[in-house]
Amino acid sequence: MAAPAQTPPSDEYEPVKNLDQQTIACVRACESEAAAKTASDYEHIVWAYGVIWSLFAIYGVMLWRRGSRQAIEVADLQRRLST
Amino acid sequence: MKKILPIAFLGAAALIFPVSVKTIFLDTPIENQMGTVQKIFYFHVPLAWIMMLLAVVCGVAAGIQLRRDSKRAEAVSIAAAELVLVTGLGVLITGPIWGHATWGKAWTWDARQVSTGLLWLIFAAYVLVRHYGAAGSERLAAALAIFGAIDVPVIYYAVKIWKTTHPSNDVAGSLPASMWAALWPALIALLLTSMALLLIRVQQELTDVTLDEAWVDLDDAGATKPNPAPGPTPATGDA
Amino acid sequence: MSVAIAGPVGAPVTRSDRVTTLLGMVALRQAWLLAVNDLRQEARDLELILTSSFFSLVVLIMLGMSFSALGVSSQPLAVPGMLWLSVAFVGALTLGRIFTREREFDTLRALLVAPVERVSIYLAKAFVTLVILLGCSLITVLGLTLLFPAAQPFAQRPMATAALVLMGCTAYAGVGTLFAAGLASSSGKNVLLSVILYPLTMPSLLFALVATRSLLEGHESFTTYLGQLAATNVLAFVVGAWLFEPVLVGVPQKRRGTARAARRRR
Repeated sequence: MAAPAQTPPSDEYEPVKNLDQQTIACVRACESEAAAKTASDYEHIVWAYGVIWSLFAIYGVMLWRRGSRQAIEVADLQRRLST
Repeated sequence: MKKILPIAFLGAAALIFPVSVKTIFLDTPIENQMGTVQKIFYFHVPLAWIMMLLAVVCGVAAGIQLRRDSKRAEAVSIAAAELVLVTGLGVLITGPIWGHATWGKAWTWDARQVSTGLLWLIFAAYVLVRHYGAAGSERLAAALAIFGAIDVPVIYYAVKIWKTTHPSNDVAGSLPASMWAALWPALIALLLTSMALLLIRVQQELTDVTLDEAWVDLDDAGATKPNPAPGPTPATGDA
Repeated sequence: MSVAIAGPVGAPVTRSDRVTTLLGMVALRQAWLLAVNDLRQEARDLELILTSSFFSLVVLIMLGMSFSALGVSSQPLAVPGMLWLSVAFVGALTLGRIFTREREFDTLRALLVAPVERVSIYLAKAFVTLVILLGCSLITVLGLTLLFPAAQPFAQRPMATAALVLMGCTAYAGVGTLFAAGLASSSGKNVLLSVILYPLTMPSLLFALVATRSLLEGHESFTTYLGQLAATNVLAFVVGAWLFEPVLVGVPQKRRGTARAARRRR
């Protein structure tokens, strides 16, 4: 049985692919566009999440203040009843 | 129990929220068409569901209030309506933020945006009537809430029909099936927070009613109390 | 308990069915009598009809002035909005004043105490509102036809236009009568009527807008849209009639001193 022919290791010059100026410029442009979109997207995400939790927080604070007001009223009523 | 439950819900929400953020940002792939900004949906969509749920809860509680003159049902109705406003505002703001990122246009007259806006207006009217209505207008407000709850599917359908006559090139975003898993922690966190706030508000409303009755009783008792015997009259300065 | 009785065509009819039918006929008859009474009173001085009609005319002129520069291609998009916004404004004004007489002389309470089906009061008031709205809509439709060429289909298809306007105005009357009555009986402020009415009537407005545009453009789906509008009317009237008594009369109040309590909170 004949051994499979082995190609000798090539020591020929291999040109580097995709390093011409046009390709590089195109790739860099795409990368910067993607980076800009991602940055913009994250900004929007932060705003959206911030708004949601701010709304809940504001409502929570309003309830807190209403609760404090009620506590004062209850104390006032108790004071009147005890006099 | 009444005090512990809201705190327990808030505590659980605080624990689930970081899990939800981790799931959304680290475990879920970036969606192909919309990119990173699609992650807003994981909070936007549950918030919309919670808003509609609370609208129905408000309407049902208003129905019970009308039928049985139940102060507990009335308190639930008021609390649910206020939370519809809070969650609705969240939906109405995050939707345009997403729209601005995706299309550069905040308000696109998308059918779901308009439906949410209309529902929000109805419950805003409810809250206004409750705050500024005369003494007997609680029942009227309850009728408004019932109409609002019934309108949840009607508005959605009406806006869908209206939209078909205003076709637009914008494609409304929706959650791809493969990403539903990230939705549930966010939904649970938001739902627990909303329920906690609802319970607190209901309790405060019931306390208000009890305080009102106590003050009225005090007024009545003061009116029927016999006048104390007149003491020596103090010298007046205008004699 | 129902007992089988031989009905007029021989088929057995239960007594509860007969009672229900009789009650329904009585309610309709009472509603008719109340409505005729209201219309007769209105016919004496024509205050509501004249002022509402004048208001429609003023709104029409304002719309004409504001949108006279619209191109022929844009008019079919704008005319439905003009028609139904005009109906919305006139509707809110009319509903506020339909119950003025009742509020001033406290006759609503008398009506509620009288042996009259509560739903008859609701139907009567809704009918009177509808009559006035239809009169005002006639002015608006005629005016729009004269002012905007795109509104010509209103004149070319009068029966379709009449059906459309009837359906749309019925929706307003059905929803608005309940809340106007509620505000009249609770000495409520009239500004709240506008706050309540506009958001609630928006779904009907959307259906009416779509139907009107399909009429103006000669779309074959017009009858479908008209059917959807009719369905919202049925819903509005059923819910309105169902809620009328609980809103106006309610169940016997367990709580007392609510007015004093409300004043204390302010």
